[in-house]
Amino acid sequence: MISLRHIRKRFRDGERDVEVLHDLVLEVARGEFTAVVGASGSGKSTLLYIAGALDADFEGDAVVAGRNLRDLDARQRAAFRNESVGFVFQSFNLLPALPAVENVMLPGLFVPRGTPAPTLSQLRTRALEALDRVGLADKASRHPGRLSGGERQRVAIARALLSRPAALLADEPTGNLDARSGEGVIQLFGDMRRDGVTVLVVTHEERVSGAADRVLHLEDGKLR
Amino acid sequence: MRIRSLVHLAALNLRSDRRSTLVNTAAACVGAAALVFFVALGMGVGQAARLMFPGDARLLEVVPGAVSLGDALGGGALDDAAVARLRELPGVEGAWRRLSLRVPIAASRAPEGVRMNWPAGFTVQVPVVGVDEGLVSGDLARGRDFRDPPPGQPIPVLASRRLLEVYNKTIAPAWNLRRLPPGLDLVGLQIPVRVGFSIIPLKTEDKVYDARLALAGLSDRVPLYSLAIPVETVRRLHQEYGKADPGYSSVVLETRRPDDVPGVAESVRRMGFAVDEGERAIAERVGLAITVTAGALALLALLMTALAALAIAQSLSASVRGRTRDIAILQAVGATAGDVRALVLAEAALVGLAGGVLGVLVAWLAARGADAAALRFLPDFPFRPETFFSFPPWLFVLGVGVSAAAAVLGALAPAALAARVDPARTIA
Repeated sequence: MISLRHIRKRFRDGERDVEVLHDLVLEVARGEFTAVVGASGSGKSTLLYIAGALDADFEGDAVVAGRNLRDLDARQRAAFRNESVGFVFQSFNLLPALPAVENVMLPGLFVPRGTPAPTLSQLRTRALEALDRVGLADKASRHPGRLSGGERQRVAIARALLSRPAALLADEPTGNLDARSGEGVIQLFGDMRRDGVTVLVVTHEERVSGAADRVLHLEDGKLR
Repeated sequence: MRIRSLVHLAALNLRSDRRSTLVNTAAACVGAAALVFFVALGMGVGQAARLMFPGDARLLEVVPGAVSLGDALGGGALDDAAVARLRELPGVEGAWRRLSLRVPIAASRAPEGVRMNWPAGFTVQVPVVGVDEGLVSGDLARGRDFRDPPPGQPIPVLASRRLLEVYNKTIAPAWNLRRLPPGLDLVGLQIPVRVGFSIIPLKTEDKVYDARLALAGLSDRVPLYSLAIPVETVRRLHQEYGKADPGYSSVVLETRRPDDVPGVAESVRRMGFAVDEGERAIAERVGLAITVTAGALALLALLMTALAALAIAQSLSASVRGRTRDIAILQAVGATAGDVRALVLAEAALVGLAGGVLGVLVAWLAARGADAAALRFLPDFPFRPETFFSFPPWLFVLGVGVSAAAAVLGALAPAALAARVDPARTIA
């Protein structure tokens, strides 16, 4: 499902180049819940953004959900992000001006050309179903500012699931949550894995990695 | 991104930032309102001016030259030979004779069939000019002839279309006469006159007899304060009263196109005749003044629209900078750079459309207010229009369209800025 081979990623830091990922190799099978742990600044998020086609500036081969990401142009990468992967971020990344249901509907508004687009009412229905799945159907009309941290992250998960992606990519998903909310999110990841969704989580929290099928350590730009 | 999704998301974004949306809409509204108001004013005043000065851009009035060397240079009197030569000039479609009647005609009674408080003993001298039927044939009422009538029959006359308005607004109030009702069908009206009679001492002819003038139509090609009768009737009356015939008073040339007028005028002058700019020149000058004024006002309004677009551009740029993270999130869920660009442009277009619709409404209300104020404070004068504004349907479309287009133009730079957001870097 996720196949990253010989990935190199460099950043420019002032006058010097810093290689954050060094000949990295990662294989994740379909329906597998994999956790990548590592220290802050080790390149965990970068790895995730490469796998999710948010970052196209890397060396190596990345094949995710059957698509070779190096072959995709900007428009195809956007379509890939819309159809094949769902992102969950540490800071939730919800649009504060929109109610929960509109936030969940967002991926449905950017359905690529050539794909049948749902009507707004169909999209709303699907968004409400996704919110129901994460236990927030009754808070659909609330804006993010009126939701707790755990609820916001569940809205973000509902948004990631709207397009029924093959892979869910989560970047420190419990980093801003208390223990109870974090448990709820981890449980949702487990449910998704059972539904056949491939889950790749980067984290430094043991409670998350403890729930994964496999835990990989990112050190010196490589996975061990 | 589908249009409905685009509009949906743009509307949500605008609703979420109400203050900025209101300010931008107000800016677009001011621009559109100014544009529509001034264009409507220019067109309305132009229409009113054309009623006052109905100049025909293809007509040219030729009069005898002030100084003539006679037949040596081909000038001199405007006789039939001269008329024939004028008719042959390149660009001339028709040459119509005008001959002032030198036999006095006076009216001492009200026209038949019209209720008027005609003062007892009141006599009006009637200036009369003879014209060719061809000049006014388009203005004759259906079934009416414009030929010299047999003895005892009423003489057909044409009056200026503007005379009724001038009478009602100027002559009637000044002389305390009854005004003629608006919409009155004057055609067929018969005016009893005394041929040969003058109100000026010693100018009355030896022979005076009663006759009737029958109105055959109204025409803008008849001088304002004259009645037009067939040129043959004038010639007959001149013979009847032994008046010498020094040639026609003027000849009206009708050119094929307005652009032919300067060339024809030049040829006429070379023939030794003069060109009476008269009403045509006034109409042209008034038209030019109105066009220049309306153009300047429209330009000012366009400037205001451009300023509104700049204000929207500045506001949207600030908004885009403030929403960089939101834009990155949209890209993370599948928005392309084109989607992001379209979204910012759609927001601007919605603001421009809303501002345009409001602006058009404001302009229309302001025009109604200005008309009401004019009705109340301006004195009545001939051809004072019911409204000083003209609102053809296309003007509403123009107002909304220009407003939306200006807003979209203003949003091009912010949209490009938004499309350059790097999602990975921004979210990280």
